[in-house]
Amino acid sequence: MTLHFILNGEAVSAEAPDGALLLDVVRGLGRTGSKEGCSVGVCGLCTMLVGELPVSSCLYLAAMADGAEVWTVEGLTERDPALLEAFVAEEGMQCGICTPGQVVACYAMGLDEPDADEQEIRRYMSGNLCRCTGYVSVTASVKAYLASR
Amino acid sequence: MRPTNLDEALAALERPDAMLVGGATATALLLKNRLIEPGCLVWLGPLAELSGIGELPDGSLEIGATTTLREISRSPLLRERTPAFAAAAGEVGNPRVRAVATLGGALVHGDPRQDVPPVLLAHRARLEALSRRGTREIALADFFLGFMECALEEDEILTKVTIPPRARWRDAYHRFTPGSEDDYPTVAVAVSLLLESGVVRDAEIALGGVDASAVRAPEAAAALIGSDGGAAVASEAARLAVASCNPSDDQRGSAAYKAAMVEVWTQRTIASCLA
Repeated sequence: MTLHFILNGEAVSAEAPDGALLLDVVRGLGRTGSKEGCSVGVCGLCTMLVGELPVSSCLYLAAMADGAEVWTVEGLTERDPALLEAFVAEEGMQCGICTPGQVVACYAMGLDEPDADEQEIRRYMSGNLCRCTGYVSVTASVKAYLASR
Repeated sequence: MRPTNLDEALAALERPDAMLVGGATATALLLKNRLIEPGCLVWLGPLAELSGIGELPDGSLEIGATTTLREISRSPLLRERTPAFAAAAGEVGNPRVRAVATLGGALVHGDPRQDVPPVLLAHRARLEALSRRGTREIALADFFLGFMECALEEDEILTKVTIPPRARWRDAYHRFTPGSEDDYPTVAVAVSLLLESGVVRDAEIALGGVDASAVRAPEAAAALIGSDGGAAVASEAARLAVASCNPSDDQRGSAAYKAAMVEVWTQRTIASCLA
């Protein structure tokens, strides 16, 4: 099947087999910021926005994104520079593999719960795992981003 | 396939290898594990007529089958009328899963560890199924036939879920996750009580994670009726709840442990419901 969608504000098209997952299609288009981690929707490494909603792109059928607006870490950090600034200022990363998903989830939280307190941040972001266990600095980064909006 | 109305969806279902999906989160997992091989997926998600949350004049609540768990968890109406249902929907997976997974999918999937089925069993929910033959109503209590098996026929589409009026009813739901908070529950308990002047006039209790599907615990519920639901009677009801389930050993606990936890969490959930 041929898919047409808007990736990070740019119209793209891709050939994909039936049952292809959004993560594989987007990475195949050269946008490799989103990573494959657990492959079962738990770890959050592959977090993307479809429209304004965060999704696990490893469980999201690419066909469902046909005609939709899809955002990854590459596009969101351009769209809102404050996002990356917050993660840099608060050193919200260690090894970095979870960071693209954390950043997208942080952006989604800005849309969903812009006035969240620290406990709400921890709850919302609990679906994005950091195996370096750097949660304190991730939480501080999200807090800084929400405060900047 | 992306039908644009219910008639097209019914037509798509005429292919014997077609499979309906709401948000396809569970389906994607089954596909990845090569447990299913549908010839064609029919995505119901975009059908507006299957989505939405409303209240009927008699106080019944109607929820369209493709309403997402996110929408349920954030609905002011549901949070007011049935806080345990809204909360249970808000505890499934994480924000990414809830944004995509649908109510209908959570039921049809028939996974005994899902959060929504026990709450809706405790609420005596009814389902509507549509086919070329017409519509029929199915009590959720008759819907689960076994592990990942439900009563929906091959040619049917689950269109909506109806919860009977909740006036004077209270509800509570607890999921016990000793491993990690975002895991499937080892044991889940839903309690729904009709209270009049401090007396339990009607009751329903349902359990998740401890049988081939979510199950009702009718003897436990009956033990509460006519009482104040206090500690002594709640303890007896909790003991009776254990007999309504058939847990098995897995990585979330041994059968004996789960049975013991059904007793503990049934008692606690009754207490929460009355608090």
